[in-house]
Amino acid sequence: MQIAIEQLRYVVLGTRDPEAARRFAVAELGLQVANESADEIALRSDERQYSVVFAKDDARRQAVGLEVRDDAVLLAASAILESRGIALVRDPALASRRNVRALAAFTTHGGVRVELVVRPQHQAWRFFPARDTGITGLAAVSLRSTDVAADEMLFAEVFGMRIADWIGDAAYLGFDGAHHRLALHPASRAGVLAVEFGVEGINQVMQQFYRLRPEESEAIAHGPGRRPVSDQVFLTFRGPDEVLYAFVAEGRQVDPAAPPRPRQFADGPASHCSWGSECRVPELDGRAAAPARPSLRGVPRP
Amino acid sequence: MIHLRDVSYVRLGTRDLEGATRYATAILGLEISERSRGAVHFKSDQREHTLCYFEGDPADQVVAFEVDSRVELDAAGAELERLGHPVHRGTADEAALRKVRDFVAFRDPTGNRIELVWRPQMGARRYRGERDAGITGFSHVGLCTTDAVRDEAFWTTVCNARVSDRIGDAPLLRIDEIHHKIALFPTNRAGIQHINHQVETSDDVQRSFHFIREQGIPVVFGPGRHPTSSARFLYFEGPDGMVYEYSSGVRSIADELMYRERQFEFAPPGFCEWGAKPGIKEFKS
Repeated sequence: MQIAIEQLRYVVLGTRDPEAARRFAVAELGLQVANESADEIALRSDERQYSVVFAKDDARRQAVGLEVRDDAVLLAASAILESRGIALVRDPALASRRNVRALAAFTTHGGVRVELVVRPQHQAWRFFPARDTGITGLAAVSLRSTDVAADEMLFAEVFGMRIADWIGDAAYLGFDGAHHRLALHPASRAGVLAVEFGVEGINQVMQQFYRLRPEESEAIAHGPGRRPVSDQVFLTFRGPDEVLYAFVAEGRQVDPAAPPRPRQFADGPASHCSWGSECRVPELDGRAAAPARPSLRGVPRP
Repeated sequence: MIHLRDVSYVRLGTRDLEGATRYATAILGLEISERSRGAVHFKSDQREHTLCYFEGDPADQVVAFEVDSRVELDAAGAELERLGHPVHRGTADEAALRKVRDFVAFRDPTGNRIELVWRPQMGARRYRGERDAGITGFSHVGLCTTDAVRDEAFWTTVCNARVSDRIGDAPLLRIDEIHHKIALFPTNRAGIQHINHQVETSDDVQRSFHFIREQGIPVVFGPGRHPTSSARFLYFEGPDGMVYEYSSGVRSIADELMYRERQFEFAPPGFCEWGAKPGIKEFKS
């Protein structure tokens, strides 16, 4: 049995400086503060009650929230993950903080923290951005993994995710009509590499580019460019706590019932941008210190 | 009224024909259609040539427009003479050099050298660029004007141009459905202010941005998007101070009766809706 993922739901980012994180999210991304407590700031980007949570915590504590249908699925997941040596831990206190019916969390072999949630809140009133960034919603999360082969296998086999494409050893994973919702990049430490928001179009991507003053500032990490894998126009820029943020637009849609075959692209910057933009993200241009070249899924390590 | 059918070619003098040729092919991505003594002709589309660099004074710049018939050419010459623009009737040799059947040359009120040509030659072979810049063809010129109001009147009353939009006093003029084939920019000299080639997609514009920069050639404006024509653009430096432009997605004006020109401000937002700031003298107040 496979555990079906309903939706990419949120990303949790630990932060050393919640005020700076909040300022960035509101001023730069145009997110709307949904909820603020002594130790957490939840921000909204679309019809979800929130899609980004800044936790006043260790900056390395990061997680991605995925929605599953109901409690039965959570139970089944527990058994399957256990058989693979991964503990799925139910956390009613965290469920209440996240405003969901049930929550269970686990950590992959590659170190990626995942929270599975049941019935997260949908917001009845429409999203009203703090700034006119043209955000349409949380689109994807790029993850660093210390064992991409194991994590790719886990997400594909247990959660039934579709391998959209590979660039070198990095895997792009999808589970709905979007080309991908998660990306796994080999790295020496696990966590969130980039949080990606969809925007209305190329105009918003380029407006953000000029807003960030490309001549004088180091804020832009990659782009503007177009991704050969997903055909998305993108701009990746730096946020607080060494997390990257991206605005993406356009991009290919996939019929989940008849997905195209995954393609293998070469490692290196050319596979990440067909416009030839400068890439300052070590994980994408082959400069990152991966622990060792991971074995590919289904190919035994030599 | 002189009916301009299309913009046809540009002729530019240069003291360094080899350098200009290298630029036009390796950077701009044009194809050499003919090398002759002291001149090189370049192809950018199905036409036999749309740009010619010749050994001479870089201030020697000409833009040519096609007219439909010899009758119209004769009438245009007579009309221009009547209005006080001295007209030079092209000789057979000069026409052959321009790959046209016949032409007349004159100066517009600012002093820009204009040629009206009849039956410019088409190429049998299709264009294939020296690099994959995605060029679909030579499309428009920016012309210098020392009096935008006077020159707008010349192009719209003596010729058939219509104002599509204005940025400050600078009119963008169409002679067919394309938003503009001529743009007049106020300055203190005569000459060609920029030369535009259309590229297939806005991806080509963006790709060229990185290519041009990597070649160490100054990008003077863009990548950006014009609020007037909705074209995605990139302006960069060429030989002898010329400015070249790539653009894609220029608006088409099909309904002549319903279209009304608009006024944009002569400031960066009037030139780019993405926030790029022009580094071009004539685009700055």
